[in-house]
Amino acid sequence: MADAPMTSGGLLVFKPKPSLPPPPATTGVIGWMRFNLFDGIYSSVTTVIGVLLIGYIAIGFYEWAFVRAVWEASSRNECRISPTEFGTCWAGVEFWFTRFIYGRYPDAEIWRIDLAALIFVLWMAPLWLPRVTAKVIVGLSAVMVFPFLAGYLFLGGERNWFMAIMVALSLTWFIGTMVHVAICLVTNQGLGRWIIQATGFASRDDRLQKYPIIILSLIAYFVVYFLVADWQTVEVVPNQWGGLFLTLVISGVGIASALPIGIVLALGRRSQMPVVRVLCVAFIELFRSVPLITILFMATTMFPLFLPKGVVFNNLASVIVAVCLFSAAYMAETVRGGLQAISRGQYEAAEAMGLSYWQSMGLIVMPQALKLMIPNIVGSFIGLLKDTTLVSIIGLYDLLGMINAVSQDPQWIGLHHEPLFTAAVLYFVACLAMSKYSQHLERKLGAGDRR
Amino acid sequence: MNLKTDGMVDQIRSAVSDEVVIALNQVNKWYGEFHALKDIDLSVYKGERIVICGPSGSGKSTLIRCLNRLEEHQRGDIVVNGVTLDTNVKNIDAIRSDVGMVFQSFNLFPHLTVLENCTLAPIWVKSKSKREAEEYAMELLTRVKIPEQADKYPGQLSGGQQQRVAIARSLCMDPEIMLFDEPTSALDPEMISEVLDVMVELADSGMTMLCVSHEMGFAKRVADRVIFMDFGEIVEENTPEEFFENPKSDRTRLFLSQILAH
Repeated sequence: MADAPMTSGGLLVFKPKPSLPPPPATTGVIGWMRFNLFDGIYSSVTTVIGVLLIGYIAIGFYEWAFVRAVWEASSRNECRISPTEFGTCWAGVEFWFTRFIYGRYPDAEIWRIDLAALIFVLWMAPLWLPRVTAKVIVGLSAVMVFPFLAGYLFLGGERNWFMAIMVALSLTWFIGTMVHVAICLVTNQGLGRWIIQATGFASRDDRLQKYPIIILSLIAYFVVYFLVADWQTVEVVPNQWGGLFLTLVISGVGIASALPIGIVLALGRRSQMPVVRVLCVAFIELFRSVPLITILFMATTMFPLFLPKGVVFNNLASVIVAVCLFSAAYMAETVRGGLQAISRGQYEAAEAMGLSYWQSMGLIVMPQALKLMIPNIVGSFIGLLKDTTLVSIIGLYDLLGMINAVSQDPQWIGLHHEPLFTAAVLYFVACLAMSKYSQHLERKLGAGDRR
Repeated sequence: MNLKTDGMVDQIRSAVSDEVVIALNQVNKWYGEFHALKDIDLSVYKGERIVICGPSGSGKSTLIRCLNRLEEHQRGDIVVNGVTLDTNVKNIDAIRSDVGMVFQSFNLFPHLTVLENCTLAPIWVKSKSKREAEEYAMELLTRVKIPEQADKYPGQLSGGQQQRVAIARSLCMDPEIMLFDEPTSALDPEMISEVLDVMVELADSGMTMLCVSHEMGFAKRVADRVIFMDFGEIVEENTPEEFFENPKSDRTRLFLSQILAH
């Protein structure tokens, strides 16, 4: 009250009060515990019971996993800790671990899987580097172009003309991406800009600037094509694929194709054209109302009956197609939900500005809808990864199939718990990684929602 | 186009231009069973500023949304800039690139920055280069007095600022006609004037404008003609002076007494 109210031209001058920091919260570990754990009798009792329960389980697990553990043995019999009792036989898991990961893939060729995995990691890693430009292209190519290279690395053998073209394309693209990333990190601009400047086209007309990029890409492609023309690896038939590797191949292809097919189906279901709409609805409802295991059995046992004599469609291929279609049907409904969350005004604004249907979908609606759908999409991806365990029922040796195979090995007969625990850990790590990545994406893409 | 006219309106028209840019002839529109527009005849001259008012549900928004095919009319002819609106997609595209629209709820694209909102259509529809589109967008953002917000997202702006971005976004397509669908109805009172200022400036620059609005001050100040609609019909079209001082219809008089009472 020290200041007398100021006046200006006979009017009181309004002066807003200064903003103050919020009052300090009642924080500290003790305060937190009192508030959250021991806030009254019921709360205290449940806290104590809960802690005891957790402790009991943790001690039990510790005893099983470590105290009774046998780390070195060459058969399950050597895992006995007393004449009547088996110890926790980690030695068996150790012995079989390579098989869990690679299945029955020949030992001498395992490097091919590792190499493909390494290339994939290198291809995706730039997405986390803030200075790299054109992330969308890098990410999309990792999903669309890389599979051809990976497919050849896994399968080996002779390449037909199509695979020859695609493998060279994939390799060129990979090398280009790596160069692009290196240039981004050093000069802060993309490969394209750098080529334009290095070739002196920067001062030319905008329309001419794409030519040096096109010409250099073509040269690079043909160089790679002829360099790898004679490169060949031993063929490994899909029957020898297995373990976590097979699980990731099936679910990876499923994940990569489910989203695009699902988007097309969802748009089709909302289409104004009756024939398109009916077809999409029929497809979605058909695949959603049949259990995956039924579809898998159909794909592997009934589908070959319809093929002409002599045409052999390998089991893995039909399983992958079945998984793709199944997950696409689910994805379509997820995408449709996201599309419905976009207000009509967005479509109208896009329309009023003269954007075509595909432009407004691709530039306005989908980017917003997909962002909203990330939790659901990743949810179905995680579901898909776990659903692939069903292929072990139709005789493919995916991770779960390999785990079951252990207990039938005469050396390790009856060994169930330890391999299953290992599988649980592997699945948990894979699913947790996806879930964490989705949270990271949500935070990163949430920029427009900040208020 | 031979349209119903009276001497008064003719007089104003001659002051504007005698080139008809929008001509509606016996336009009818139904939503299911509901008859939303009834026998609308209207011609708009180049450079003319028209304010359309009327009670809610009277068909005024429907009318201007029919002009760029956000709604489809079922009977009658709409000719915009010499192009007839029909099911031909090419005609619709041609009209949409000549007609800008500003919505009540702004409808900015929340996932794009202000600048990207403004450059999207010029780049994808008019095939402008990014640099060219950005330069022009900055020019227009300066014109609506928010160049400093170019890199923000719409969600970070106030309602008034968002609506000004929406106006700039439409102007980036170099439209010959601007449609405003209640541009200030969703705004706080203190923000209305900043949007109206931009619209007045636009009107002074000679843009053909059709504006659905209840801002009577704006109508008095810039409109060449005020149109009053009710039950899907044009009840009265008149100069602003005559409209406010000496309305011809009892329905107009009632409406004015209601909105000007407070």
